[in-house]
Amino acid sequence: MELSKIPQISRRSFLKASAGAAALSGLALPNTAHAREEDRLATLIDLSLCDGCSDREMPACVSTCKALNKDKIPKISEPIPVPWPRKIIEDWSKKKDVVNRLTSYNFIYIHKADMEWNGQKKTLFVPRRCMHCDNPACATICPFSANHKQPNGAVVIDQDLCFGGAKCKTVCPWEIPQRQSGVGIYLHVLPTLMGNGVMYKCDLCNDRLREGKLPGCVEACPRKALLIGPKKEMDALAEERAKQMNGYIYGRKENGGTSTFYVSPVPFDLINGTMKKKPGQPDMQPGVKRRMAATDPLGKAVLAVPALGIAVGAAGAFKWLAQRKADVKGKEKDNG
Amino acid sequence: MAERIIREKGLVIRHSAVELIEHWVIAISGLILALSGFFEMPTANRYYITSLPGFSWAGDFFVSLNVHYAASVLFIAAALFHLIYHGMRGDKGMIPQKGDFKTSVAVIKNFFGKGEEPPFHKYLPEQRLAYIGMAFIIAMLILSGLVKTYKNIYAPDMSLTVVLTATWIHNIFFVFFILAFLGHMAAIILKPNQPMVRGILTGAVRLDYARHRHPLWLEDIEKMEVFLIPLEQTPLAEIPHAIEETEISPVVETGKETVNQD
Repeated sequence: MELSKIPQISRRSFLKASAGAAALSGLALPNTAHAREEDRLATLIDLSLCDGCSDREMPACVSTCKALNKDKIPKISEPIPVPWPRKIIEDWSKKKDVVNRLTSYNFIYIHKADMEWNGQKKTLFVPRRCMHCDNPACATICPFSANHKQPNGAVVIDQDLCFGGAKCKTVCPWEIPQRQSGVGIYLHVLPTLMGNGVMYKCDLCNDRLREGKLPGCVEACPRKALLIGPKKEMDALAEERAKQMNGYIYGRKENGGTSTFYVSPVPFDLINGTMKKKPGQPDMQPGVKRRMAATDPLGKAVLAVPALGIAVGAAGAFKWLAQRKADVKGKEKDNG
Repeated sequence: MAERIIREKGLVIRHSAVELIEHWVIAISGLILALSGFFEMPTANRYYITSLPGFSWAGDFFVSLNVHYAASVLFIAAALFHLIYHGMRGDKGMIPQKGDFKTSVAVIKNFFGKGEEPPFHKYLPEQRLAYIGMAFIIAMLILSGLVKTYKNIYAPDMSLTVVLTATWIHNIFFVFFILAFLGHMAAIILKPNQPMVRGILTGAVRLDYARHRHPLWLEDIEKMEVFLIPLEQTPLAEIPHAIEETEISPVVETGKETVNQD
């Protein structure tokens, strides 16, 4: 597809959504419990357009992301406290140049997928980073709520609150967040007994979104393979492009739905076949389940049970009161 | 009436079956909540708890969350049942009274051999204070837990201020819950309180213990006996005797002697 033929996302609707999300993400209590649908953003990654910036030393999305986040991690405390009893330290501060996987200093990388499709050799370049899921377990069950889904859809870790326990990484089907030991609040609490650093990942350039700017990777992509806009528009665009190329979409249903839609001319199970899941290099299993959904039924029971407790308590008390009334009447009768 | 004296067995019924069920459902589910909540920190894998026999599930956050939810169902149901059931019945025995704090200090001093214990009603003043403290902790844990659960299922992008408030209330009151539980356990280690353990296990305490330490409670029971027990079941001769016993307080004297002997 030629660049001139790429449908442009309405900047007006993007800015409108950004402004709404920014207003909602303030510290004031919102009028609604959660964000309105129209405030949610999503990104579209068109694999038919991404060429991995083969003509550059480093893909534009990767280099821009690195440049924007180069000062994000504060100075590492040396020596890094050795956690007890598992003595695991993750320190990427001396390997900041690693770009072929996710690290605490690298929030996006490009996977090169060589495949055979319809009898022809095919190479696709797949940018990999946080999917910004609709109901992200990484955020909802963070024990300190250091990781939170913002009203605009971005899943953002607050590095000032994160203890680096890596629970978010464990519950993420793609194990996206990466730990940097030797930084963060845990150093001021019980550094060897509790926590182990800070978890880092793509935050969709949430600060830039609040300013009405595009995420770095989206802005930097020379082929406009990455787009951002209101989620409904991105979803429709993904559908349209998939139809045009007789292709496939990834990210709509995976992990219960995400705010990232990949569009590809090649099935994702084939792309996934080129990926060997390794630390910092997630696979792309189609239809990967939202494991936390298995806890929803009991969670709903928790929300319903106060009504049951009140009803049974009231019924028991009424029964007791009626019995007491009958007893008193009986005694009065007996005493004549 | 649940509270009654069984003279032939030398026992006093202190708790009804409903109260025992309430206590133990809250106690057991509360401990499961504390444990599964601890595993959510995350701690099980780091501290090799998953290597302990029967604890391999502790490292799976979704399994431990399900355990936490299951225990929450029992905990919240029992807590709200307790609040409504006893509230509607007008049970006030565990509600703190004026002067409880001052009396508690005197009682605690007595545990260390200083001064004398005053005669008690059914509950000790520090039990009433501990009850209201634990009730507040439980209320905060339930309210913040409900917010967190709603967020987990329906509103992951809920206001960050609300989520952070609920999370930190839950975490801080979790620590208070553990401290309150340890205080509760410490209280039953104290020798004078030990006869009450039988009460929370079987529903009944020894009559001689009750006469010695809770004469005001027995007085209330005996007054109710006069009113409620059919005349043919309670020989007239016994009733004044029972009241008389309490009024002249020989048991309190005995209690003083016992304390002095200790």
